[in-house]
Amino acid sequence: MSPRLRGKLTQLALSFSVPSSILQKNVLMRTFGIRSLNPPKASRFDIGSDLPVLKSTPTAALERKANTLPPRTGAIAIKKGMTAMYDPETGKRTACTVLQLDRVEVVSHKTQQRHGYFAVQVGSGWKHPSNVTKSLLGHFSINGVSPKRHIFEFRVRDESGLLPVGKAINADWFQEGQYIDARSNTKGKGFAGVMKRHGFGGQDRSHGVSLTHRSLGSAGPSQGGGSRVYPGKKMAGNMGNEQNTVQNLKVLKVDPGSGVVVVNGAVSGPKGCMIRIQDAIKKPWPGVVPSEPIA
Amino acid sequence: MTAFSPIMRQLACLRSLAKPQSSISSQLGRRSITTSYTPKSEPVPLPNKLPKQFISQLPERLQPAPGPKKVKVYPPPASARNACKDPVGAVAESQMAILDPKGERKALFDYRRNPRSVKVGDILRVTFKNGDPFSGVCLSIRLRGVDTSFLLRNELTRVGVEMWVKAFSPNVNSVEIVQRTEKRKRRARLYYMRQPKHDMRSVENIVTNYLRQKSALSGQRGRGQQQRQKRR
Amino acid sequence: MIQLKTMLNCIDNSGAAVVECVNVLKKQRAATVGDRIVVVVQKQRNFGPDTANNSGIANKVRRGDIRHAVVVRARKEMQRSDGSIVKFDDNACVLINKSGDPIGTRMNGVVATELRGKQWSKILSLAPMHV
Repeated sequence: MSPRLRGKLTQLALSFSVPSSILQKNVLMRTFGIRSLNPPKASRFDIGSDLPVLKSTPTAALERKANTLPPRTGAIAIKKGMTAMYDPETGKRTACTVLQLDRVEVVSHKTQQRHGYFAVQVGSGWKHPSNVTKSLLGHFSINGVSPKRHIFEFRVRDESGLLPVGKAINADWFQEGQYIDARSNTKGKGFAGVMKRHGFGGQDRSHGVSLTHRSLGSAGPSQGGGSRVYPGKKMAGNMGNEQNTVQNLKVLKVDPGSGVVVVNGAVSGPKGCMIRIQDAIKKPWPGVVPSEPIA
Repeated sequence: MTAFSPIMRQLACLRSLAKPQSSISSQLGRRSITTSYTPKSEPVPLPNKLPKQFISQLPERLQPAPGPKKVKVYPPPASARNACKDPVGAVAESQMAILDPKGERKALFDYRRNPRSVKVGDILRVTFKNGDPFSGVCLSIRLRGVDTSFLLRNELTRVGVEMWVKAFSPNVNSVEIVQRTEKRKRRARLYYMRQPKHDMRSVENIVTNYLRQKSALSGQRGRGQQQRQKRR
Repeated sequence: MIQLKTMLNCIDNSGAAVVECVNVLKKQRAATVGDRIVVVVQKQRNFGPDTANNSGIANKVRRGDIRHAVVVRARKEMQRSDGSIVKFDDNACVLINKSGDPIGTRMNGVVATELRGKQWSKILSLAPMHV
């Protein structure tokens, strides 16, 4: 939403799905979210009730994302390690990763009215209050949850996915047989050369090559290419410790008592790292009705 | 300037002396900015014990500091992490309970604790669910909980064959010790037995003998199995 | 891991003893058990003096022939669905014609059971033993 739009137009653009609370007494309020650098100019042809939502508005952005945003929130888990499961009938062995949910609770919400998008802020673990900054402590306090060690946001499609604040998310949030996406940071490899980092071929062991057996060959063309190194040139640098998503992992086992979720296959990151798991976006959404909030 | 003589310059200094002295002193007297000194009045001291309701009447800087604002901290809920310290072990244990309810298979390969267990160098015979047997000398045992496995090596039709078998696989019907090693092997992994110099070659004869003895002991039951073994 | 220039044993009675892989068909990686490859016969099997007596087992292929073959044993370990791993001490193959039938009539030597899953049941039934 561009702030330059007239009040009447704003009403038009937002009237499709945004609740009218954003416009109070026809006074233009500040809106958040995706904003265009070149906001659409007001024109007399733009006025009408059947016009589509402007592409540069948060409403339109949310509509575009409606199919790829999960309807419900995910959870934060700790990677505990890997083991294997056998199917006693077929004898098939499945390598699996054991994840544990530890005191996962909803901390707060992000709403389109205030933040431009819908998301559930989820925290896990516990941190001693003396180690939490005052501002964060106040944030936990007003939401009525204990100080959390890890906080992440999970985007959801609309308001119906906003789980009540303070609601605990246990392992039974996921069902056996459903698919999830696991998002985490990969193992850090430190400063790595181009052969390890980008799979370059390196150079010969001999044939006159001296001291540059594992370096990159050339950083680019010379005068013909502008005598410069192009942006994005693959070079040595820090490798790993970057976010990675492993999609479509099947949930093999769920144990609400111990907070254990066992998923098929491998998940990025070392043991003990934080994994964000959410319903897989490339599979049908699991038919789960959000359960009643606990008292 | 060169026209002036040095004498003339010295004479110029005398001009100030020629001025009337009185006028200078009177000017000084007029320009003086000295004022009379009045000491600043001391602030009236506050009463030592000011009642609380009057504090708000004080200027802000004199009000006592309110102290840090109290933030209510909520206690954490019960931790699943404390409830289950080793989830990987728990998942593996639950698998073991299904695959090996009596713990026999576990004891058979737990060479660190069980003296009657399989040792490297023993000749083992594994029967699979689909009926195929595989026998060979055990080169290595990998103790990894539910992933425990052992490496068998044999020579079939003069071709060396090695097989890692998962001890708890549901496809493994039985594991028998055909022959124990005479001397305790001083290596944990007998990979040197792949070299032609140390290779045991085929163990089929030993296994056939064992099966014959076994069928003799148990009567008719093992004969069919033995015949099938011969056919192979 | 059978690729260009890999030498394999030929374990049928087609007459070839040692063949060299010149191409892996239908995949861009190294071949393993059950994969079809193109081979060149490098060494003929010598059937000895009794070759003349029964010409039925005369060599069907000669040195330098280019034939299709199926890998039946591989040094590279193969993992099975229950997690067990099988490896052989050599690489071996069986010559086949263009339609996929084996050229030889007998096989000597153990083969891997993975052939069944890859539609080579005919070769598997010819083999004296499989693991």
